[in-house]
Amino acid sequence: MLYRAFLVLVFLVVAIGGGAASIWLVLEKAPLVGSLTSGPWVAFPVAGTPEADPYSRARHVRTGGLALGPSEGIILTASEDSSARTLRSNCTYTIEGIMPSARLWTIYATDAEGNLLPDRGQRRPALHSEMIVRDGDNRFTISVSPHPVPNNWLPVSGNGRLQIVLTLFETPVAAASQLSELVLPTITSVGCDA
Amino acid sequence: MLRLFYACILGIVGAGVVHLAILFMLPGYSVHDAWTRISNVAGYYEPINLRDGDPAASLPTPENPFIEASACRFNLEDGMLHIRSEGNVPFWTLAIYDERGLNTFSVSDRVSNGPFLDVAVLTPLQMQRLQGEIPAELNQSLFLETSVIEGFVLVRSFVPDETWQPTVGAFLNGIRCEPLPNL
Repeated sequence: MLYRAFLVLVFLVVAIGGGAASIWLVLEKAPLVGSLTSGPWVAFPVAGTPEADPYSRARHVRTGGLALGPSEGIILTASEDSSARTLRSNCTYTIEGIMPSARLWTIYATDAEGNLLPDRGQRRPALHSEMIVRDGDNRFTISVSPHPVPNNWLPVSGNGRLQIVLTLFETPVAAASQLSELVLPTITSVGCDA
Repeated sequence: MLRLFYACILGIVGAGVVHLAILFMLPGYSVHDAWTRISNVAGYYEPINLRDGDPAASLPTPENPFIEASACRFNLEDGMLHIRSEGNVPFWTLAIYDERGLNTFSVSDRVSNGPFLDVAVLTPLQMQRLQGEIPAELNQSLFLETSVIEGFVLVRSFVPDETWQPTVGAFLNGIRCEPLPNL
């Protein structure tokens, strides 16, 4: 009798504990599935839409974000440079190249949790396509640096992990399923503060 | 011993059932999703600027520092939704989110024929009833058919710099969001 009760207890602990623990692990710790990557840039085009898989949907509902729709644009996030080294906010990087066609784009720097980095004096760590100085071929160079740089400076501060968030608004890219065919700017490390 | 083994096997199967049950029930019971958070502070047809709100209300603010947004909750059972605003803002988009906070449909300002926002959101059935006779007040409107009955509309606008703040603020705060009960 006592043994039977023990067996029922084992069943309940494994079923409820195991079920709850596994869903927590998948939603909190596992990397998101359904991502598209191109160099250092990662996008989740269907996240936060009804087309997303049940796991991404559950995760999105828990964070409560407002996803962009395909007609609005696409968000690309980089947490590594083009040589796959983790981005840090005490380092200087150069973002170079041309952007895919889009009505407008914005680029900003966040910490590892996705919060915008603090302002540097009067400057926000954020730039958009109409502020960018370009050369004759429509190419541009953005310097992500803790120190002032002429032309396109994205000021960063602190010394934690850094994410660079690029948003392309009203772009045919958002409807594409193959991000790898796209030419996106490269992120090159220049050096770090000691 | 064998029975303990069976109990464990049954437990693992049960864990799978619990896992799936939580996964599919989570969206319905969540209190963090955008819809619930907006519903906590704004009634139906009550436009709310997500950036201006009380920080304690923990509204879902746009993460992009150049974007401001206003939301308006609707229920198409009250009749189709008519949403309007005016202002020469550089870029706006409109998206329909369902009651789980998922983006189901979106358009950008390119679809509009002027510096104004004038959109009617309606179900396919309401669209059918409307065929042929568009009321005068919807003459200029863009019609968006959706299967979402209850949800919210989110209007985003681009703010290139602070000098645009008053214009964009007026555009987003001037949103009129009304049900048309007879249609």
